[in-house]
Amino acid sequence: MKRRSFLKRGLLSGAVAAGAAVSPLGLRQGFAGDDDVLEDILDDFEGPEIRLDIDDVKLELIDGKRVFMWAFGLHDDAPTIPGPVLRLEQGKTYLFEIRNRSTSRHSFTIPGMVSPDGLAVHVELEGKDDSDNSRKSILVLAKDCGAFLYQDALNAPIGRVMGLHGFCVVEPKENITVGNGNIPYPTSVAPQAVTSLFETLGLEGSVFPGNGWKAKSDREREWIFNSVDPRWCDRFEQGQVVSAGEATDFKPRYFTLNGNSGYDAAHDHDCVPTGTIGQPLILRTANAGLAWHSPHIHGNHVYEFSRRSAKGELRLHDNIREIDTWTMPPGEIAELLLPFKMPPDIPLSKRPPNAQEKFPYSFPMHCHNEISQTSGGGSYPMGLVTDWVITGPYKG
Amino acid sequence: MTDIIISHPAHDPAAFDEFGCHVYAASPSTPDKLTPTKRFFRQVSSWNVTMADGKSVPFWGFKDPNVSGSDSPWPSKIIRVNVGDIVHCNMKPSKGTHTIHWHGIEPTPMNDGVGHTSFEVKSEYTYQWQASTAGTYFYHCHKNTVLHFEMGMYGILIVDPKSKTKKLYDPEEGDKLGDATIPARYPAYDAEGIWCFDDVDPRWHLYDHDAGICGEDIGMDRFEPKYFLCSGVPSNKTLTDSRTLVKAKAGSPVLLRIVNASYSELRITFPKDVLVAEEDGRVFRTNPLRGNFSKPFWTRTLNLSTAQRYSVFLDAPAAGRSCDVKTEFLHWCDYNRVQGTVTTRVLGT
Ligand SMILES: [Cu+2]
Ligand SMILES: [Cu+2]
Repeated sequence: MKRRSFLKRGLLSGAVAAGAAVSPLGLRQGFAGDDDVLEDILDDFEGPEIRLDIDDVKLELIDGKRVFMWAFGLHDDAPTIPGPVLRLEQGKTYLFEIRNRSTSRHSFTIPGMVSPDGLAVHVELEGKDDSDNSRKSILVLAKDCGAFLYQDALNAPIGRVMGLHGFCVVEPKENITVGNGNIPYPTSVAPQAVTSLFETLGLEGSVFPGNGWKAKSDREREWIFNSVDPRWCDRFEQGQVVSAGEATDFKPRYFTLNGNSGYDAAHDHDCVPTGTIGQPLILRTANAGLAWHSPHIHGNHVYEFSRRSAKGELRLHDNIREIDTWTMPPGEIAELLLPFKMPPDIPLSKRPPNAQEKFPYSFPMHCHNEISQTSGGGSYPMGLVTDWVITGPYKG
Repeated sequence: MTDIIISHPAHDPAAFDEFGCHVYAASPSTPDKLTPTKRFFRQVSSWNVTMADGKSVPFWGFKDPNVSGSDSPWPSKIIRVNVGDIVHCNMKPSKGTHTIHWHGIEPTPMNDGVGHTSFEVKSEYTYQWQASTAGTYFYHCHKNTVLHFEMGMYGILIVDPKSKTKKLYDPEEGDKLGDATIPARYPAYDAEGIWCFDDVDPRWHLYDHDAGICGEDIGMDRFEPKYFLCSGVPSNKTLTDSRTLVKAKAGSPVLLRIVNASYSELRITFPKDVLVAEEDGRVFRTNPLRGNFSKPFWTRTLNLSTAQRYSVFLDAPAAGRSCDVKTEFLHWCDYNRVQGTVTTRVLGT
């Protein structure tokens, strides 16, 4: 199918499925099916496109067991759980084309993001057997900076837990400089506390000697926590449905970080923050599952500077807590700064390089509700855990 | 139904094994060893703890082998040091391997007590670290932690300020006191309460040390607590037991250190606003020299997930009056389910 007809079918079927308010640019609800208007919009749209597919998959867990789940993947790329990290630039409009190749109905939703006409980003897609209605397109405006969780919200929260989730990160158009580095939010939006935190990084004589934070570098990691209840996987595989009302009967047996557990997560570059002393890093953490997690990091305290609720509302903090453990309710996103400081409780006279114990230093990050450190009812620590590594002293 | 498999590449079997099932165990000498200013001894021990219904449940923990009669306290004996102290703790596991992780304290990996990033202690090891920051911490075993933490292998760790007076911390140059930050009548306190909450699933307390660690399904994905305690006191005695009842002269400043050692989400409700002054061993300091981004705050409710700590200040109630604090244990998946409640008290004298 050519791109044009692919899009057209998606757009028109969207009109049939939803049938609400007219949305001439959002191309979503209630599009009246005026082919000429549609053609105009498509002809005019020259912005970037993001094509995502939804597939039925089997996810291999840390103990080798395979469970039925759903996964997003970039079109013609292998599906992954979580879906790929989508990096958008603030101010741009993106055309999302979603194709559902799964047998079940799903939606594509990004809580907190909007179409160019200000409507919520949400399209519903029939299963692949109804091919006319299994493809949809929607325009997404990257209006605000920050981290978002794209997901299936049709039978919320079931689709998200069953694998349909991924990070969407909106970055400022140009790097915004404060102090010796960058800040991930415009200073017009960031409260004084957030600006002050990033300004202090890398300042001579401050609590953060070293560098400022560097945008668009390796100084960020996205962590999505999830948990797997194989009973739910089996039911969906057999064509049954788990209703949203059953969410309180969630009994997870596997716990993942970016789809990995234990050993796998600690050996995955995308999971393991790495750097020298004085190279601060941003952690974006989200909980796609239904268990409340309590991630705990060793070696350094972290500074929590934002939260986004499951509904998509952002709160940049005006009081920044320096903590070693943070709470992750289902569906939420937290952003934290991992300062890559010299671990503060090493005796002053025995800090590297004048020490027998040399770099690299590896420390774990794990959920402290330790039930999540298991796999299949045992096997500590093969659950929600990874490592982070200080590779050496400050290099300047 | 689907033939798309999201697989994970095969592991190096030896490395995989060492990560979980057969972790490297050793009894090395302490690297970079200094002369300590505070020295502690801990040995793994076990005993029974009486629950609210009178039943006796097996627990493990750390005793001080050099003090007779110190087998009894559970949770394990408090460790209290001052900012600047070089701390040594000699640990003898005695049954299988164990470790001590100094939660919230950030030493080198060798002294962090995590098997897969360093080693598990075979016969003995002396942990070393230097206390840098006043606040509330705890120490616990980090081997098969899901089980050993539930079995009670933890104790409270407090870093007091250098000044050695009853104070949460020593104000520093540049600290803003008496306005947006901690009122001038704090951070000193007259009375201190240490409330460490735990929940107990007695089914778990019958396992062996290594249970489940090499892949057996022993049901550690299910945790159904039957008992709720505060600082080792069962829920039916927390209003009167001296370990939990805080007595303070009417109107005097009281510091409550609150720790969640349970596998539940805690929802704590105070009868009036309290000042939250510290979290996870870090004071909410307002100090432009240290980065002007944190401040203490007043609240009537606190939520703590596992291993979080808070310190709050309040003024003791009038003589004979009490301030009762309600702590609810919420299920970690079914969050609206209150599994148990513990009430603790500050009594004015
Ligand atoms: Cu242990
Ligand atoms: Cu801990």
